[in-house]
Amino acid sequence: MKRRLGWMLIVLLFVSAGAAVGQEAEEAAAPETFAAPVVIVSVGQSAGAQQARVLAIRAGLDYVFEQRPEFSILEGSQTLILVMGASSKGLGAAGVDIDGEIAWAIDMVARARELEMKVIAMHIEGGARRGSTSDQIIHAIAPLADYIVVKGATPGVEWVESEEADANADGLFSTIAAENEIGITYIAKTLDGVEVLMDLFEIEPTE
Amino acid sequence: MARRQTRLPVVFLLMLASLAVLGVADEPLSHDIRPGYGVTDVRWLSDYFQPLRDTAGDTPVYILEGEQSGGVFLLLGGTHANEIAGIMAATLVVERGVVMRGTVIVIPHANNSAAKQNSGTYNANTPQWFELTTARGEVRRFHYGDRRTQPEDQQPDPDTFVHFPSGIEFAGDEARNLNRNHPGKPDGTLTQQISYALFQLAESENVDIVVDMHESSLTSSLAYTLVCHPRALVVGAFAILDLELGGISLKQEESRQEYYGLSHREFGDRTDALAFLIESPNPGQEGGEQAPDVINDPRAPLSTRVHLQLTTVQAILSNHGLLEGSGDSIALSFPFDLEELVGADLGAYLR
Ligand SMILES: [Zn+2]
Repeated sequence: MKRRLGWMLIVLLFVSAGAAVGQEAEEAAAPETFAAPVVIVSVGQSAGAQQARVLAIRAGLDYVFEQRPEFSILEGSQTLILVMGASSKGLGAAGVDIDGEIAWAIDMVARARELEMKVIAMHIEGGARRGSTSDQIIHAIAPLADYIVVKGATPGVEWVESEEADANADGLFSTIAAENEIGITYIAKTLDGVEVLMDLFEIEPTE
Repeated sequence: MARRQTRLPVVFLLMLASLAVLGVADEPLSHDIRPGYGVTDVRWLSDYFQPLRDTAGDTPVYILEGEQSGGVFLLLGGTHANEIAGIMAATLVVERGVVMRGTVIVIPHANNSAAKQNSGTYNANTPQWFELTTARGEVRRFHYGDRRTQPEDQQPDPDTFVHFPSGIEFAGDEARNLNRNHPGKPDGTLTQQISYALFQLAESENVDIVVDMHESSLTSSLAYTLVCHPRALVVGAFAILDLELGGISLKQEESRQEYYGLSHREFGDRTDALAFLIESPNPGQEGGEQAPDVINDPRAPLSTRVHLQLTTVQAILSNHGLLEGSGDSIALSFPFDLEELVGADLGAYLR
C-alpha cells in the first residue's frame, strides 16, 4: 500500500513537471516584455489598484498611480496597467457607475494606443472580486490588453489556495486570453505579482 | 374575575421592569475585564466628554503606554455589541497585550449601552451571555449585546434619522447605531454623544491609527473585509499582502465618500488618523441559523475570528511603522504566538 502511494507520488511529480515544462515552453514562445514608465489606473474602483501599486513599489517599477486620472497622464509613459475589479456595494452605499467606468477605460486604452503604449490588464484580488459587475469590466477590458495577469488557477493545474482566492475557477480569463491570443500569467498569491512585474519589465533584483 | 387575576401580575411585572430600568439606566454596564501588566492607565470615555458621565454610554478606556515613544493607536471593540470577536480581541489586548513602543488605547465596549441586552437584531436565537473557561478552569461570562443603543437609553427613534452634520437620511432606528452617528454631536442623543466623546479622545490624544472591529454574517460579502479610508489605502494594501502570505485572505474596500456616519469615513476625514474597519464572520449574525453557536461553530470559531482581528491589527501596525518611519511606529505584542489562537479555546488565553 505504502509502495503504491510512493509510485503514485512519482507519477504525479512527473505529470506536474511536464506541466511546468509545457508552461515554460509557452512563455518562451511569446517573450512578452514591457517598458517603463508605467501608469497604473483602476477600472471599477476596487482596492486592487492599490495592491497593484504595492506590487509596483516592491518590484522597483517606475510608475505613477491614479485611481481615475485624466488621459494626459499617459503622455511620456510606455505602458498602461488597468487593474480590474468593482468595489462592492453592501457598505450602505451605491456601487460605482459601471457603464461610465467601462466607457472611460475604453477611451483610456484608445488614447494609450494613439501614444503607441502597451497595455496590461490585471485582476489580482481573486474570486472574491468576481461577480456580475466585476465580470462586466473583465469582459469589456481584458480583451483589449496585450497581456493579462490574474490571481487564479492555471488550467489543468490543481489550485491549492482557498476557493475564494481563485478568479479563474470558471476559466473566464483563460478563455479571454485564448480567444484573443493574449499572453497571460496566473498567480496564486497577489504578492507573486511582484515577480511577474519584474519579469515583464525585465527588472533585475537590486540585492 | 379570571381576567383580573391575570392582569394584576402583568401590571406588577411591568412596574418591576420599569424600576429595574430606572435603577440601572444612569450608570454604565460593568464587564469582566482583567487588565494585565501592559495597562498603564484606566480612564472613562467621559473623561474626554463630561456629559457622558453617569450615563449608559460611558465606558472604560484602557491605556497601554510603551516605554519608547511612538504613535498612538485607538482600538475599538463593541461598536456593535453583538459583534463579539471585536469585543474579545480588544479584551485580549487589555488582558495580555504588551506595548513596547507608542501608545495603544483600547475601548472594548465602544457602545456600552448596546452591550446591556441582546434583542436579537439578526437572529432571535442568539444568547444574552456567553461563557469562556480560563486555563485555571474558571468560567467567565461575557455579555452578548445588541447592534444598537438600548431604546430606553435614548429618546424614541425618529421616523427618519438625519445624520449630523451631512443631513443624509437613514431609517429611524439607525439613530441608535453608533456606526451611523459619527462624528457625533455634543448636545445630541446618547449615541451622538458617545461618538462625540470618541472624536474628542482621538483629537486630544493625537491618534494616528483607528481600527474599529466589526463582524458580519458568514455569507455576507462584508465578511473577511478590511475597509480603509482613502488615506489608509496604501498601508491597508501592504497589510493585506502580508496577511495573504500568512494564509489570511481579506478583501480590501475603500471607504467611499457617501459612507457618512461610519467610523472609517469620519475618523479619516475629521482627524489626522488613518482609519480602518475589520469585518470577521459571526454565525450569530446569520438570520437562518436555528441554533447559532457564536463560540465553537467550526466554520468560524470565536478564537479564529479573534485571531483574524488581531493579526490584521498587527499587519496594519507593522506596515504603518514601515511606511511612516519609526517615530510614529507602534509595537504591540503578546506573550504567546497569535497563530496559536486559530481554532483554540479562547478562554485559555484570557486571565
Ligand atoms: Zn458592525
